[in-house]
Amino acid sequence: MIDTMGIIIASDINIPPLTDFRSASALPIAGGYRIIDFVLSGMANAGIKNVGVATKANYSSLMDHIKSGSPWDLKRKKRGLNILPPNIGNKNYFETIRGDLDILYGIKEYIRRSQETYVILSLGNSIYNIDFKKVVKAHIKNQADVTIIYKEMKDVEQKQLSRYTLLEVDEESKVTDIEVRPYYPKTNNASMDLFVMEKALLESIIDECYAKGNHNFIKDAIAKKMEGLRVFGYEHEGYTDKIDSMKSYYDNNMAFLSHDVRDEMLHSLPVYTKNRDLPPSKYGENAKVQNSYIADGCVIDGTVINSVISGKVHIKKGAMVKNCIIMQGATVGENVCIEYVVMDKEVEISDGKKIIGQESYPLPVSKGSII
Amino acid sequence: MNGKDCVAMILAGGQGSRLGALTKNVAKPAVPFGGKYRIIDFPLSNCVHSGIDTVGVLTQYQPLELNTYIGNGSPWDLDRNHGGVYVLPPYQSAQAGEWYKGTANAIYQNLSFLDRFAPSNVLILSGDHIYKMPYGEMLEVHKESEAAITIAVMPVPWEEASRFGIMNVDENGLIVEFEEKPANPKSNLASMGIYIFNYDILKKYLVDDERNSESSNDFGKNIIPEMLKNGEKMVSYRFEGYWKDVGTVQSLWEANMDIIDNPPKFDITDEKWSIYSRNTALAAQYIGKNAEIKGSTVTQGCIICGNVEHSVIFSNVKVGEGSQVIDSVVMPGVQIGENVTVRNAVIGSGAIIEDNAVIGVNEDPGSKYLSSMCTGGLVLIEGGATVKAGTDIPKGSMIEVE
Repeated sequence: MIDTMGIIIASDINIPPLTDFRSASALPIAGGYRIIDFVLSGMANAGIKNVGVATKANYSSLMDHIKSGSPWDLKRKKRGLNILPPNIGNKNYFETIRGDLDILYGIKEYIRRSQETYVILSLGNSIYNIDFKKVVKAHIKNQADVTIIYKEMKDVEQKQLSRYTLLEVDEESKVTDIEVRPYYPKTNNASMDLFVMEKALLESIIDECYAKGNHNFIKDAIAKKMEGLRVFGYEHEGYTDKIDSMKSYYDNNMAFLSHDVRDEMLHSLPVYTKNRDLPPSKYGENAKVQNSYIADGCVIDGTVINSVISGKVHIKKGAMVKNCIIMQGATVGENVCIEYVVMDKEVEISDGKKIIGQESYPLPVSKGSII
Repeated sequence: MNGKDCVAMILAGGQGSRLGALTKNVAKPAVPFGGKYRIIDFPLSNCVHSGIDTVGVLTQYQPLELNTYIGNGSPWDLDRNHGGVYVLPPYQSAQAGEWYKGTANAIYQNLSFLDRFAPSNVLILSGDHIYKMPYGEMLEVHKESEAAITIAVMPVPWEEASRFGIMNVDENGLIVEFEEKPANPKSNLASMGIYIFNYDILKKYLVDDERNSESSNDFGKNIIPEMLKNGEKMVSYRFEGYWKDVGTVQSLWEANMDIIDNPPKFDITDEKWSIYSRNTALAAQYIGKNAEIKGSTVTQGCIICGNVEHSVIFSNVKVGEGSQVIDSVVMPGVQIGENVTVRNAVIGSGAIIEDNAVIGVNEDPGSKYLSSMCTGGLVLIEGGATVKAGTDIPKGSMIEVE
């Protein structure tokens, strides 16, 4: 598997206010991870030693998280993790980014210099624990030009299917049609926005699309070219979902509270993340914690139920935190009551306050707010 | 290249035999402590926060785990181009090759290491004490007073003073007498085994000491008395904070309990003085639907489904439904089954406690597991050992791998 490189275009999905200051790929999940950890760990587990990460904007949070590369064993003398600023070789570049193809065009020199035969391209913002070795093997066996990893979304209502790029796949796994977020879905095979192809093909796609003024990888480079390409689907049977809204962010965090999702997502293959040197979490005499994730560095002396708590969060005596997601460094005062709240970093809620959202509409609180 | 202002040498070769089964396969400085750390993290982190960037770690007993743990030093920010952390085991040279005979001999055998960095001062530390201390402040005192040696001392309760090496000091803090475990102590200032030497003077004394075949080549027994005899300027540096020698199972257990007291006797949560350790980042701890946790610390990778009270739980520990863990120290990767009771125990890394086992609850003066290492009714379970389902392990037992 050493002959494959990874390219991750970090997501520019907008989930206000959580993505005001960070890329959606840098959003915390399950208390201790960031969304990008899953794709990076998948690549690391497959033995990939050359990974490029590019994004359009909001770099700092993402860079801070991945910059050393070492948690994914990508701190290598040659290749390793490459953070690719988007403005290579063109001063007016920022004005011209209209789609993922423009970002790929901006990093074409990096792609050209890389020496691997195959590339795994990630354009989405999904979580999964996937064995990329098997995907590349299937790609080679099918003699495919492009392999798209997808998930058959069972028991998902029609309206929800419209969130995805949907694939029609025949019995030989050949993709016969692609529709990007159709209003009337014809299938329930949702693309995971993960592609395998030869690096040479990706280079020629980038070149041709740029020359023709195209911007969108899946629509312009794949969907419109179906006749000339052998496009195959690879079905991922495990858990996955795309984080593209407050609701999906909330639901996918809560999904980790289930035993099966936890086992598969966190333990089937290892998931790596940056080590933050936090002390163990401390539980006081009044703590009551049930069915929750607690990251390190927390001080918990209140009640926490069905919640996902990131590092360095302080929950004081008498506080009730139920069905919430709390990001790093928040303080929840005494006798505070919060339910269905998604709290961004370093929020402070003073004693006695009450904030109640709804399951169908979890209430966000912006970074650094003082309530 | 200019010489270093100060190089630290950590004596990490000791077996720690009073820790029983905990140090059967690892040196004492590598013993887990405080939920996420190993004992040696404390002197290493103190060095880094004190601006000391060159550290030699002298290993001898069971060095594999310690060597692997220290690695390139990056967890402590000690992967440096000029300096950093070095593991220094005994070695063979053209003239001789021998084990470290005593603390002074261990440094003597590494004079060539020290010479490479041409330090003005050398800080000698033990690898088996738990404390946070600004060595930089002590170094300033040492330099200002132009002492040959500065020794860190701390006041201990008078009734315990006869267990320590006691420093008698004059009104200016100069050391006038040193008594090892005196029956009738004249002072309650105990030596902490932390010395800053002027390097040239240290070198002279080590060379002389090595020539003396009568010497046991020990700092406390030989070097310091010799310096006193010769009238060298010896300054005391008084330290008032938390300090604990975790030499026995009971003191190790107590020191762990000190971090969970409210307020803690020993605070490891200060971000300005973070204790660094080599950890892989793991999943956040998951606390189950029927779990109860009070007065404890728990860390990453744990899955807690039972009750945990007043305990220190290390990473990747599983506690099954219906189990109770009370007043205990549970080291990394321990798997506790369902309906298990654990009280007053220290459970070593990776031990497996099967369902319905009862540990540290009942008395049995005739039990074959009773051990003199396990004072205070504590139970010690060796890392990797298995306690079979339903077994009753009485107070004061030590369970080893079969």
